[in-house]
Amino acid sequence: MYDYLISPFIEFEFMRRALVGAFALALGGAPVGVFLMLRRMSLTGDAMAHAILPGAAVGFLFAGLNLFAMTAGGIVAGVTVAVGAGLIARSTGMKEDASLAAFYLVSLALGVLIVSLRGSNIDLLHVLFGTVLALDDATLLLLAAIATISLLALALIWRPLVLECVDPNFLRSVSRSGAPTHLVFLALMVLNLVGGFHALGTLLAVGIMMLPAAAARFWVKELTAMIVLAIVLAILSGYLGLLLSYHSGAAAGPAIILVAGILYAGSVLFGPVGGLKRHFIPVRHLEA
Amino acid sequence: MIARSVLAALFALMLGVSPVSAQEKVPVVATFSILADFVKNVGGDRVAVSTLVQPNGDAHVYQPSPADAKTVADAKIVFMNGLGLEGWLDRLIRASGTKGAVVIGTKGIKPQEMKDEDGGHGKEHAREHKLDPHAWQSIANVKIYTANIRDALIAADPGGRKIYEENAADYLKRLTALEKEVKEAVAKIAPAKRRVITTHDAFGYFAKAYGIEFIAPQGVSTETEASAKDVAKIIRQIKAQKIPAVFMENISDPRLMQQIAKETGAKVGGTVYSDSLSDEKGPASTYIDMMRHNIRQFSAALTS
Amino acid sequence: MTAALEFKNLTLGYDRHPAVHHLNGKVAEGALLAVVGPNGAGKSTLLKGIVGALDPLTGEIDRNGAKKETIAYLPQLAEIDRSFPIDVYDLVAMGLWHSAGLFGGIGRAQKRNIEQAISTVGLDGFENRSIGTLSGGQMQRALFARLLLQDARLILLDEPFAALDENTIADLSALIARWHGERRTIITVLHDLDLVRSRFPESLLLAREAVAWGKTNEVLTADNLAKAKRMCEVFHPDAPVCEAAA
Repeated sequence: MYDYLISPFIEFEFMRRALVGAFALALGGAPVGVFLMLRRMSLTGDAMAHAILPGAAVGFLFAGLNLFAMTAGGIVAGVTVAVGAGLIARSTGMKEDASLAAFYLVSLALGVLIVSLRGSNIDLLHVLFGTVLALDDATLLLLAAIATISLLALALIWRPLVLECVDPNFLRSVSRSGAPTHLVFLALMVLNLVGGFHALGTLLAVGIMMLPAAAARFWVKELTAMIVLAIVLAILSGYLGLLLSYHSGAAAGPAIILVAGILYAGSVLFGPVGGLKRHFIPVRHLEA
Repeated sequence: MIARSVLAALFALMLGVSPVSAQEKVPVVATFSILADFVKNVGGDRVAVSTLVQPNGDAHVYQPSPADAKTVADAKIVFMNGLGLEGWLDRLIRASGTKGAVVIGTKGIKPQEMKDEDGGHGKEHAREHKLDPHAWQSIANVKIYTANIRDALIAADPGGRKIYEENAADYLKRLTALEKEVKEAVAKIAPAKRRVITTHDAFGYFAKAYGIEFIAPQGVSTETEASAKDVAKIIRQIKAQKIPAVFMENISDPRLMQQIAKETGAKVGGTVYSDSLSDEKGPASTYIDMMRHNIRQFSAALTS
Repeated sequence: MTAALEFKNLTLGYDRHPAVHHLNGKVAEGALLAVVGPNGAGKSTLLKGIVGALDPLTGEIDRNGAKKETIAYLPQLAEIDRSFPIDVYDLVAMGLWHSAGLFGGIGRAQKRNIEQAISTVGLDGFENRSIGTLSGGQMQRALFARLLLQDARLILLDEPFAALDENTIADLSALIARWHGERRTIITVLHDLDLVRSRFPESLLLAREAVAWGKTNEVLTADNLAKAKRMCEVFHPDAPVCEAAA
C-alpha cells in the first residue's frame, strides 16, 4: 500500500512538484469553477483557450520563445476578451455567452493572422503549454501566486459576487459594486486559466476547474460546502492521477483529468443531491 | 588552319547551344535543411535549392503552404529523405503536379529500427516497421546520400557532370576528415561515460556508428506527452548508472530536461542539433558544422 | 408635511414612447399610497423611475435628498436564480447590505435581527432551506423579510401579492401596516381594488397620465375607473412628437 500510494512521491522530486502544482491549481481554480458552473459559464474555459492566442503571438513577436512574454501576453489578451465581452453584455442587450463568442472568435482569428505573418511553423500554443511533470521554480511560484490571489480576491468580492449571481437587480439597487465585481471575477478566471495552460496544458487547466465543481454539485447543497468539496475533489484527482500516470505509464495530464472524470461519473450515479441513484434505489419520504 | 577554325566555331556553337551558357540554375527542392546542405555542396552554383522545412522547423509535423506547392511544381528534382520522415510529402507532390524527379536520399542505406522504449513512442513515423529516419547522423550514410544526390543531378543535368563529380568527391573527402574527428573525440571519452540523455530520440544512427548511448524521456515524435512512469524510469536509470549529462534539443520543451537534470545531478549540456540545421548565424548552419558542434558539446559534457 | 417625493412634469418611457406621461404631484412622508390602473398604465415604470433604474425622458423626480440606501424596491418579477445553492437565511441576510457592506461582520445583534425578520414573516424553521425549495408564497415572505432588514425610509412594492394565497396576503399586509405605523413612506402597485379600499388610505389612479390622485374612496369611483380603462394600452407606432414636451 505504502509503495503504491506514497513512495513515488518520496522517491522523486518531480512527482512532489507535480503534486504541489496540481494542489495550487486546485486551490485557485476549483472555486472559480464552481462559480462558472453556477452561472452557466462552463464552456467559457475552452473559449478562453482560443482567445489568448493573439496575446501569446504578440509576446512571441516581441521576445521570441520567451515564456514569460508569451504568458503575460496571453493574460492581457484573455483579460481584454473576458472583460470586453462582460462590459458589452452589461451595457447592451447582448447576453454574455454570445458576447464572449464574438470576442473570442475575433481574438482567435487575429492570433492566427499574427502568427502567419511571422511565418513561423512552430505551433505557438504547443510551446506555450507545458506539462505538469516539468514544473520549475518559476512556474511553481506562478501557480502559488495565482492560487493566493484567487483565494484572497474571492474572499474580498464574496458578498457582491454571490448577490450578483442570485439577485443582480437587488445588488444594482443597493450598490454599484455589481459591475466591478463581475469584472474582477472574469479576470480571476483568465488568470487561473492562463496560469494553468502555461504550467499544465489546456486540458488539465480547464478540466481541473470544471470537473470537480460539477461533481461537488451532486453531494452538497450549500455554496461554501460546494467550494470546499470541489477543492478536495480537485486535489484528489491530482494525487490519484499522478499515481495513475506513474504506475501505468499514461500521459500525466490526461490521467489526472480521467480520474476527475471518474469522480464526476461516480457523483452523477451515487450523489445524494439530484444524482441518478434515486431512480434505482427508492427512498421513503418524510412525514412533513 | 581552316579545319581548326571550323572546329573552334563548331565548339563555340556547341557552347552556345549548351544549357550552361544561359546561366540558368537547375531548380531543385530539398525537404529540409540538412538535406539541402548536401545538395548545395554537390550542386554548387549550378543548382538553386529551395528548402521546405526551414531551420528550427520540425520536419516530422510540417504543414506545407500553397507557396510550397508552387516551389515543388517548378522543381526539376525533389530531394527527400525517405524512411518515413516526410509523411506530408506525398500529398504535396501530388497536389503540385510536379514533373520533377523524386529522389530518395537514403536509397541504399541500411536502415535501423526505432529504439522503442515501451508504448510505441514512434507513432508518427514509418507506418511499416517503425524505421528510424535520422540516417544522416552517421557520416558513413551521408556519403551514400552524397552519391545519390550526385547521380540524380547528373541524370537531370548531364552538362554539369564534371562539376558534380568534382564537388561530390571534394565533399566526400571533407566527410572523411569529419568522421575521423568524431571518432577521435569519442575515443577521448571514458567508455563508462559514453551515455547521454536527450529529449529527442533521433541519434540512433550516431549511437551505432560512434558508440555513444542515447537515452530519451520521450519518443521520437514531438507530440507525445510524457507520463510519470517514463520520467521516473529515466531518473532511476540516470541515477543508477550515473549518466553524466543531459542534452537539450532545438525542438522540444526544455523544462522537462531541466527538471530531470536537476533531480539527478546530471550536467545540462548545451543545445545539440538533430533534425535540422541552425539558422545562418547559429553554430550549426551546415551539416559539417552541425556534427562538429554536436560532438564538441558531447565531449565537453562527458569529459569533465 | 414634507414631501418624500415630488414628480415634476415627469415623463418616463421606452424608445421615446411615454409610459408615464407628464406626471405632477407630491408623495408625503409617511404616506401609504396605492398605485392602480389598467395594464400598461405605467405603474411599474413609475417605480423603476423612482428607484433610479430608468432615466426620465423629460421632467424630474425630486427625492428630497434621499440616498440609495434609504430606498427599498421589490420588483414584480424578482429575477432570482432559484438554483443557486444558498438558503433562506442567507437570502434574508442580504438585507443587511448597507450596515454590513463588503466585509462587515454580522454581529450577534444583527443575527438576532435576521432571525426575527424570518420569524415575523412566518418562515420559522425555514432558515436552512434552499431557496430552490420554496413555494411562491414562501419566497415572497422571504423577500419581505429581506425588506424588513433593509430598514428603508421609502419602500416600493410592485404587485407584491400577485398569485399569493389569502393567509400570506393577510400576513404581509399586516407587515405593511406596521411599516406605515413606523412612519415609513410606502408606495405599492396593486390590482386588487378591494384590498386597496380596505387597507390603503391614499391612491393614485394611473393610465399613463394621472387620472386621479387623493383619498382612495374619492379616487376609485366608477367614473374614474371607466375613464382609465378607455386610455390606450398599446404604444402608437406612428405617434407624433408630443407638443407639451417642449
